[in-house]
Amino acid sequence: MFSRSALRSLASELRLTAPSTISSAAPLQQRACLHQSASLMNSQQPQSQSTSSHPESPLSATPRAQDTQPKNVKTSTFDENTMTPQTRAHVPIAKQPVAPTFNSPLKVTKSLMSQLPHLVGQKPHYVVAQLHARPYLLTEGDHIRLPFLMPKVKAGDILRFNRASALGSRDFTMKGSPTIDERIYECRVRVTGVDSEPLRIKEKTKRRQRHVKQAKSKHRYTLMRVMDVRVKTPDELLAEGAVVVEESADSSVIEPRS
Amino acid sequence: MPLRGIRTSTAARNGAGAFILQCKRLDFHYCNWAGSSKGMVAFLEKTLPTFARENPQIEIRVSPRPQKHPLIKGLYINGREKPVCVRNMEPHEILKKANLLKEASGEKLKRVKKPVTSLNESVRGIWSPYHGDLRGV
Repeated sequence: MFSRSALRSLASELRLTAPSTISSAAPLQQRACLHQSASLMNSQQPQSQSTSSHPESPLSATPRAQDTQPKNVKTSTFDENTMTPQTRAHVPIAKQPVAPTFNSPLKVTKSLMSQLPHLVGQKPHYVVAQLHARPYLLTEGDHIRLPFLMPKVKAGDILRFNRASALGSRDFTMKGSPTIDERIYECRVRVTGVDSEPLRIKEKTKRRQRHVKQAKSKHRYTLMRVMDVRVKTPDELLAEGAVVVEESADSSVIEPRS
Repeated sequence: MPLRGIRTSTAARNGAGAFILQCKRLDFHYCNWAGSSKGMVAFLEKTLPTFARENPQIEIRVSPRPQKHPLIKGLYINGREKPVCVRNMEPHEILKKANLLKEASGEKLKRVKKPVTSLNESVRGIWSPYHGDLRGV
């Protein structure tokens, strides 16, 4: 004869095991209903996991910095005349973004190299990027609304600002003369869309004339988001082929805060 | 106990990491009878299939709206919508309007004077007269 406590323990064991199987099955089904690709992901579990650990290039921007070489991978199904390009493989080689060609390796003075670790180690950083001779003080995650409509960019494009007059952290500032070499830092922005201002109406009048002309204007502006502002470490610079020189007149300098 | 809203732990910064297009749906309305919909009907037949194929992230709905001018309505992630009347327009003009709705952020149009808006704290901190060296004028 079973005692009551033994029965209770048996029942609790059953309760423990049974709901666990149900609860583990139910969210899976829900997840499959929530998203179209979820069912695909479940069926190809090992493959999708391997891809998720190394996400595609739009998400991780860092490896794309060096990846500005034209790619001559071409899909066979793509028709250039009817479709707009979606990835870089669709763009003809002549029109692909060209990596900047440098005639000489990056020259860094000894004093700059010795002070650079202080600047690199102190986060966050800001950069004063120059765009059409206007300065924009940017930090990571900032929202930019350019005072003009940038041509030939689409929402989702990633740009790299390569003209910076200053670069700094809380206590250190690197000043360029007039700009810092673009190989020292990375400032990446993503185009998020196009904005417009409300319609402006200006009334134009002439003297002794009843006629009033209404001049209308409604400009469009490009929206952007700063993805990262990063200063490279001395080791990275040396690995990329920087040359340490004694002193040179037109090099950028790091100034500590007074 | 009073009802509490859900606190947001982070501010949305679309594009800083992943990027999501803000336009989630485009509604195309037309009229089969009216002359102002002539260009719109041609657009729906010729241009819209390629436009939809190029933008798989946008849901596209086409529905008749009899006795009315043709209309494109964009719906955005922030819950706002943006209607554009396209009466008497040619198909290429309508495509321009569709692209405008696609790239728009969905926010209300505002006159902004400062180009950069930041959620971050000031990198160099606030200036204090009691700290740091004296500087000659």
